[in-house]
Amino acid sequence: MSLQISCPHCGPRPVEEFLYGEIPVVPDSITDADARDLDRAFMRNNPEGPQTERWFHLFGCRRWLTLRRDTRTDEVMEAG
Amino acid sequence: MLALNRIHATRIVATPSALDSAQWPDDRLVFRIAADEALITPPMANAVVSDPYAIVVADSGFAGAWLPMEEALPLLEHACEWELPRERPAFAQGSVAGIPAKLWIEKDRVLLIVPAPFVADFEERMA
Amino acid sequence: MNEFQEKKIKFAWPEPKRSYDVVIVGGGGHGLATAYYLAARHGITNVAVLERKYIGAGNSGRNTTIIRANYGIPEAVRFYQRSLELYKHLEAETDRWIMHKQKGLLNVAHTESALRTERARAEVNTAFGAKTEFVAPKEIKEICPQIDLTGGNVWPVLGGSYHPEAATARHDRAVWAFAEGAMKRGVHVHQRIEVRGLTMSGGRVTGVETSAGPIAAKAVVGAVGGHVTTLASMAGVRLPIRTHPLQAYVTNHYDLQFDVIASSPGLLFYMSQTARGEMLVGAEIDRQPSYSYGSTYHFLQHCSHRAITLFPFMRSLRILRQWTGVCDMSPDYSPIMGKTGVDGFLVTTGWGTWGFKAIPAGGEQMAQLIASGETPELIAPFGLDRFASDRMMADRGSAGTH
Ligand SMILES: Cc1cc2nc3c(=O)[nH]c(=O)nc-3n(C[C@H](O)[C@H](O)[C@H](O)COP(=O)(O)OP(=O)(O)OC[C@H]3O[C@@H](n4cnc5c(N)ncnc54)[C@H](O)[C@@H]3O)c2cc1C
Ligand SMILES: [Zn+2]
Repeated sequence: MSLQISCPHCGPRPVEEFLYGEIPVVPDSITDADARDLDRAFMRNNPEGPQTERWFHLFGCRRWLTLRRDTRTDEVMEAG
Repeated sequence: MLALNRIHATRIVATPSALDSAQWPDDRLVFRIAADEALITPPMANAVVSDPYAIVVADSGFAGAWLPMEEALPLLEHACEWELPRERPAFAQGSVAGIPAKLWIEKDRVLLIVPAPFVADFEERMA
Repeated sequence: MNEFQEKKIKFAWPEPKRSYDVVIVGGGGHGLATAYYLAARHGITNVAVLERKYIGAGNSGRNTTIIRANYGIPEAVRFYQRSLELYKHLEAETDRWIMHKQKGLLNVAHTESALRTERARAEVNTAFGAKTEFVAPKEIKEICPQIDLTGGNVWPVLGGSYHPEAATARHDRAVWAFAEGAMKRGVHVHQRIEVRGLTMSGGRVTGVETSAGPIAAKAVVGAVGGHVTTLASMAGVRLPIRTHPLQAYVTNHYDLQFDVIASSPGLLFYMSQTARGEMLVGAEIDRQPSYSYGSTYHFLQHCSHRAITLFPFMRSLRILRQWTGVCDMSPDYSPIMGKTGVDGFLVTTGWGTWGFKAIPAGGEQMAQLIASGETPELIAPFGLDRFASDRMMADRGSAGTH
């Protein structure tokens, strides 16, 4: 099944209507300022499990939404 | 064959509560394209909402065509992967035949709207 | 060589030891080829490959098997040409038939700028050792008579590039050829052993925690495909990898011959014919990062649309099977090979949607690095350190889909 995303304004729609946007989270263990910039620019958390992420509803309201999705199953756990 | 015409409208960007409480004249169609954005056609340059920072601008970036319900329904059933709203009238937007489209659904007719650059593609795909 | 002369593979599956010189995590092509070359070229055989499912369960058993070297940047052309040549001789070297077949690959261009890209590709390839020529529509039609040069009047074929040495090989046979070659020389391949942690001491990796207990190692190599972020994080290593699903499908039998591998970098679509006559079709990754193997109708629809527009005969075929792999995508569409900044821990990743062709050279170079401790010149540009030093190996237009 194709991933479905629920837009709070437009309703449930196939993922193909949206653009993916990531929320970069630099781990606290990285303290050096340059190292934090590098991490933020390139490194990815890429979790196998739930992650909070942003989606842009390109084909509808053209607004960003936030949701939590389990990357192992594509199950959307909560919209925000 | 579907033929879309340019839609002249007014676009208002304002706080959601200002748009929620606004009163619109009966001779206008008002599409709520986002929580904080509405499209009004025919244009209404003097539109006023209760938000001092509201942006009110002329917009002619869309094109549309009215279809009788019995023609629109089979087309949309084929071209929409998502469920159409059931109430009438209703506004809906999303991918139609792979193109970002907006629908104004009345009891016995539907207005199909797409951004002007997609008109030729849309007409061809819905043919 | 052919299947009728083949010898049955005889395997010994020994019990895991408590310690090895080298532990390779992941029994895909890259892990097994690294083990193979360690044993075959460097006499290093106290090596274990730990695979949590069965070997080839990952992308190495799910890909569309395209082998080519027509990349867009010099470093990549050299590396992939080396791999292409190693593949050519792999049957002779391993005494196993991997169904290697040279087919040639056609990249078609639908716009002026794509045309310039293909012209540049031909130049860069020629300069750095791969064979690629710029071709006009007439030549394209000769190479691939089934193509509709008008592109359904939507995507006209204005020209392209032809890469005669491109080939395909049977993916699981390649995987098993490396596994057998390694095992024959004393390497242990352990299936159904999962690595769940890395043991560290004094800031270096000293072994792995597995579903079958701890195993010590002087060097641990991460070769786990799309799951590399999880493994690397166990050593505190951050990677610029995002895991995305990639889908493919095959049709039923096409009666005529389709000799070439056809590809449109602009449409992110490619196609070839399998040994059984099926048409094998692939396209771009799914947009959401995900570890899910779900396949979608959307993919079939969009991919078939492109296929039918360029190749009208595809209209009469039926889709038989569809499947998915999860790919370790790097931001510059180039691999990430070698040292990680943590002693005793190496990775071979960033193979994304394009790493099957790289299995022999990737394995050969990783083995040389492990044996010598020095990063070989051929893969030095592809180190993880390139991101910190702002030396991206940007080659999206070449690696994009296959
Ligand atoms: C649909 C599709 C089409 C493709 N087409 C092409 C193509 O035409 N040409 C091309 O060059 N490339 C192609 N690719 C890319 C290519 O398949 C991969 O880049 C390549 O196979 C990667 O090999 P690998 O050994 O790094 O990873 P994999 O083959 O994925 O192997 C990784 C292994 O690690 C195991 N593993 C993971 N975690 C653990 C753990 N914790 N403990 C133990 N084991 C673990 C997995 O089970 C898996 O077997 C394609 C990929 C896909 C999905
Ligand atoms: Zn929306």
